[in-house]
Amino acid sequence: MTADLGAEDRAPELVPLNAIFATDFVQILVPVTTANTMAEVAAAVAHHVEGKRVRALPYDKVVIFDGQRLPADITVAAAGIKPLDHVTVEYDIPEQS
Amino acid sequence: MALLKREEWQGFVRDVDWTYSYVDDEAVYPEWLSGTGKVPREAWLGWEESYKVSYPEYVATQREKETAAYAVKAALQRSATFDQLDQGWKSATKMHFGGVALVEYAAVLAELKMARFGLNGSWRNMATFGQLDELRHAAITTFFGHEFVGKDPQFDWTQKTFHTNDWVAISLRNLFDAMMTAPNVVDLALQLPLTFETGFTNLQFVALAADALESGDVNFANMISSIQTDEARHSQQGGPTLEILIEHDPVRAQWVVDKAFWGSARAFSALTGPAMDYYTPLEHRKQSYREFMEEWVIDQFVHTIEQYGLKKPWYWDEFIRGLDIWHHALHMGLWFWRPTLWWRPKAGVSKDERAWLAEKYPNWEKVYGDKWDVIIDNVNANKVEATLPETLPWLCVTCHLPACNATQSRDGTWRVRDIKLSYDGKTYHFCSNGCRQIFWKDRDNVNHETLIDRFLAGQIQPMDVGGILGYMGLTPDVMGDDPDYEAWTRDYVGRAAEGAAVAGA
Repeated sequence: MTADLGAEDRAPELVPLNAIFATDFVQILVPVTTANTMAEVAAAVAHHVEGKRVRALPYDKVVIFDGQRLPADITVAAAGIKPLDHVTVEYDIPEQS
Repeated sequence: MALLKREEWQGFVRDVDWTYSYVDDEAVYPEWLSGTGKVPREAWLGWEESYKVSYPEYVATQREKETAAYAVKAALQRSATFDQLDQGWKSATKMHFGGVALVEYAAVLAELKMARFGLNGSWRNMATFGQLDELRHAAITTFFGHEFVGKDPQFDWTQKTFHTNDWVAISLRNLFDAMMTAPNVVDLALQLPLTFETGFTNLQFVALAADALESGDVNFANMISSIQTDEARHSQQGGPTLEILIEHDPVRAQWVVDKAFWGSARAFSALTGPAMDYYTPLEHRKQSYREFMEEWVIDQFVHTIEQYGLKKPWYWDEFIRGLDIWHHALHMGLWFWRPTLWWRPKAGVSKDERAWLAEKYPNWEKVYGDKWDVIIDNVNANKVEATLPETLPWLCVTCHLPACNATQSRDGTWRVRDIKLSYDGKTYHFCSNGCRQIFWKDRDNVNHETLIDRFLAGQIQPMDVGGILGYMGLTPDVMGDDPDYEAWTRDYVGRAAEGAAVAGA
């Protein structure tokens, strides 16, 4: 009766994403799971781009989904991110005062 | 008995038709193949080509062309010309041979379809010559490319490309199946002879012939110039067809031409753009890709369609903006995913080459320079592995090319934005608004699955880079790599590489 279980109780499921990292030139395929946190999603996307096509910057990264900045500790399942959805990963650059 | 003069027999010889006694017209010219649509059947009686040719004339002319093309080839075969050609230029020719040889064969089938189902005897007659042309093009392209297999196994992809699931091949199959294999002959005549051949092959053949001569590749220039002389004749099947369609169904005429132009422009930005602006040696470039597009495609094609009463396509502004973006991004994609290619893509970003790019494309440094700088620093730090892919680029559902078209924000920054569509329970991603609109209007057509679709459906095993390369048919002896890293990185040796993979990012 897995249909009755909450996302947090089910085995992690694969969630292939369409992702873009900051100023990179192309969208890429990045597989994550329902159990991954946004910090892990950001790292998974950055792995393919940061220091390879986009210069690494000394800032935290934030996942933007559906126009919303998501907290680093929320999971893919809890954020409602589904297979083939798009996420953007940006450097969380503090605004200069 | 005296022979009839040409003008006395030409008229009825080129326009032979039958009066049926056992079947009706729909049985001979079914709608799904002949596609008359809203055009009354009798309107097609007015179809007339502007340049008329008879079979004896055709054979005599083609014989001369063949003799000339093969004579030049035979003479050059004994010289060392090929060995002295630049690797970048050789890559442009490998891309052309693999990307074009079997498209010419698909065009044979397309011309045969018009030769059988065209709605006027003159049209069917003209298409018969057209299929003979395309048969010659398939043969000459395959033969000329095959000659080099012994010197370089990548030329084997002249024949092989279209039999593989390489992503470039999938993209081209998708385009040309939509343009030639699937449509009825009326839509086919508007897409292939009118839009693709009149609008675009000029670019491929005239521009590349000029670059070939500059690069010292007389054989290649000779081959494509020989082909181009046929295009000028059989491409005129489009004009009379458009004239009749536009009178009875202008909305359909506009849509079919718009769609074919967009698909052709996307494919050319992937293949001809990098060949002209990156692979051709700097000193041999005649004009930039943008300049050629403006002169040979935009000015001439827009002039042509406006003469017939069509408007500029709805996506015109997006297309024009793309002339500064599409092929530069696709070049970077081709280079970064170079193991998936059957040619050796030259990065082409030395200081001199970048100065040329910045002059021709004022935004180039801003949009692409920073990313090439990171790649250059990794190469110079002996971290070439950081310049190789570990996942797939996302491929557009419509053009099957990477989704990589940056647009400028109001604040001046350039970003690639997601362009998506949720339909029938699935989310689709596109490279551009033009591709999204075409998908939406044509969503019930048969479309090829993208490589992403195939990968996620488990058709590619194992699900890693090795599995993907195997699925594409790439073997280590042909897998693409940069022909000369030092050529474009030595200008930058010794500079600080902060923020590259070498810095431990």
